[in-house]
Amino acid sequence: MPHIPSILTHFSPELILVVGMLLVLTYDLWVRGREGLQANLAIITTVLALVATLVLWVTMPGSHPVFEACGPGAKAGTCRPGAFISDDFTHFFRVLGLLGTLLVLISGQTYMRGRTAFKGEFYALVLSAVLAMNLMAGANDLIVIALAIEFLSITSYILTAFLRHDGLSIEGGLKYFLYGSITSAAMLFGMSYLLGIGGSTSVPALAAIARNPELAQVQGYANIMLPALALVLAGIAFKIALVPFHQWSPDAYQAAPTPVTAFLSVGPKAAGFAVLIRLFVGSFSSLSASWLGTMGLLCLLSMVVGNVAALTQGNVKRMMAYSSIAQAGYMLLGVVSLGGKTLMGLDSVGAVLFFILTYVFTNLGAFAVIIAVEQATGSAELGAYRGLMRRSPLLAVSLVVFFLSLVGVPPLAGFVAKFAVFGAAVTGGQVPLAVVGVLTGVVSVVYYFGVVREMFFGASEEGQPGPIRVGMGTTFVVLVALLMTLVVGLWPEPFITLANNVAHSIAPALQAAGGH
Amino acid sequence: MVDNWGFIAVLTLVAFTVPLIGLALSWLLRPHRPGPIKQTTYECGLETIGDSWVQFKVQYYLYALIFVLFDVETVFLYPWAVAFLGLPLFALVEMVIFLGILAIGLIYAWRKGALEWV
Repeated sequence: MPHIPSILTHFSPELILVVGMLLVLTYDLWVRGREGLQANLAIITTVLALVATLVLWVTMPGSHPVFEACGPGAKAGTCRPGAFISDDFTHFFRVLGLLGTLLVLISGQTYMRGRTAFKGEFYALVLSAVLAMNLMAGANDLIVIALAIEFLSITSYILTAFLRHDGLSIEGGLKYFLYGSITSAAMLFGMSYLLGIGGSTSVPALAAIARNPELAQVQGYANIMLPALALVLAGIAFKIALVPFHQWSPDAYQAAPTPVTAFLSVGPKAAGFAVLIRLFVGSFSSLSASWLGTMGLLCLLSMVVGNVAALTQGNVKRMMAYSSIAQAGYMLLGVVSLGGKTLMGLDSVGAVLFFILTYVFTNLGAFAVIIAVEQATGSAELGAYRGLMRRSPLLAVSLVVFFLSLVGVPPLAGFVAKFAVFGAAVTGGQVPLAVVGVLTGVVSVVYYFGVVREMFFGASEEGQPGPIRVGMGTTFVVLVALLMTLVVGLWPEPFITLANNVAHSIAPALQAAGGH
Repeated sequence: MVDNWGFIAVLTLVAFTVPLIGLALSWLLRPHRPGPIKQTTYECGLETIGDSWVQFKVQYYLYALIFVLFDVETVFLYPWAVAFLGLPLFALVEMVIFLGILAIGLIYAWRKGALEWV
């Protein structure tokens, strides 16, 4: 029985998350008297899963399938490929998702303490969301992809609407749910066509059909793969919040509890890109001539709409929603620049991975500040940031650094990331999109600077509000994010090498496809 | 190609005309004598008592949710039971874990008071 070890080793981060999630959920059923330790338990679970992932990554490199389907009496060699793949690519997104969640849990702990009585449920849902992200990172079968995306969506809806006495929170969650159910239906419809053509839900099997339509179960209908893939793309684009599948995101971001907003702005995006890259670049690259145009359009719209709509926002969480739509557009720019090479031999997929890496830390750092400000002032409106420089120099200066990194100012991490993506776009034949990217990047300075102006030059009408006390957790997260933003900016080589290695782990499929 | 679509057009026309003719004929021929008894609910209907715009006991949804949980569990158990003899030991362990997680869910609902009618 080869299954047991493969699940217990290569699936161990997910198993740890499942056990931890059940413990957190039922914590107050077993433990009496020691209330409110669910957050700590969730943090410990996340750290354990992170350690397990790192151990797997270091000690067992290469690609390891989990959940190979071998029916009763199956002969050796006739098993279907694993529904879940544990490879470098999976590890990369596991680590990003777990690290991001860890930072959110640490910075959001005090924020949630006063706002909800359902601690166990909240932290159990956060752990479920990470579990779903891990599943998306390694999903190699349409069923697992669909289930993982649904799993992440449903947990996100509940987390968005978690403050159930707050009408806005419910409204944001409901809008998210309505958009999500429509796009999920579209995605499942597309997947049903793929299954019908290929006779299999396994992604490698479908990729083989995409390369060679003769293998299809139903002959002569290979062209239906393209609209089917477009429908699947819609489902993924909804999770990433690409224009025009973004309408839910400003409302959900504004209304959700701020730690959840921080989580939504990085977790589902990273996991969505994991599925997008594995599916389209890793498996269906032979059809790239057909999907590049559609994705290029999504990329263009996201960059333009995201940056332009952010200009007029008076609520910083809402502004960050549009800003993250624009950032997702930049990430997609790397995906559509197939074959582009950029600094230090980084290829286009590596550039996307590097961009996501820097984005996770920079954006979570910015959100740690936003959480702290909302805790102190009770608001995320622009006016709450008035005179922040006097009230808390640490928060104000860090937020400026994070914003500068999001704009892409050297020597910060965001600059190297944007340079890498634009470089890939120029060499990968997407020069017009790169030009739009640079121009909209200039536009983004305006809205980030609006917040900076309030913090440094905004005069307060009603006297001088006192200094803000910054908690231990927030300080820790802000400092970690600052450190990463500076280190990746000044010394990017190891991170670029890492991104390149990870990108090459799904490249065999790419090269095999390019050969035909 | 065009012939086929013409066929569908004719069929659509016929499909709409035939029932209309029937309805029109019966409207012309039938006597028109409505009465209170004729207008009541008949066959499997019941007279409504009161307004339907009343408050329902919304707590019922908890029972519905827990019911669905165990309903789906049965759906998973049947194929597993049918294929049981051909499955490795691992399948048994898997199903025990699955049932264990569901049991934790039931204990959770129970201890949180979801099964109490208040």
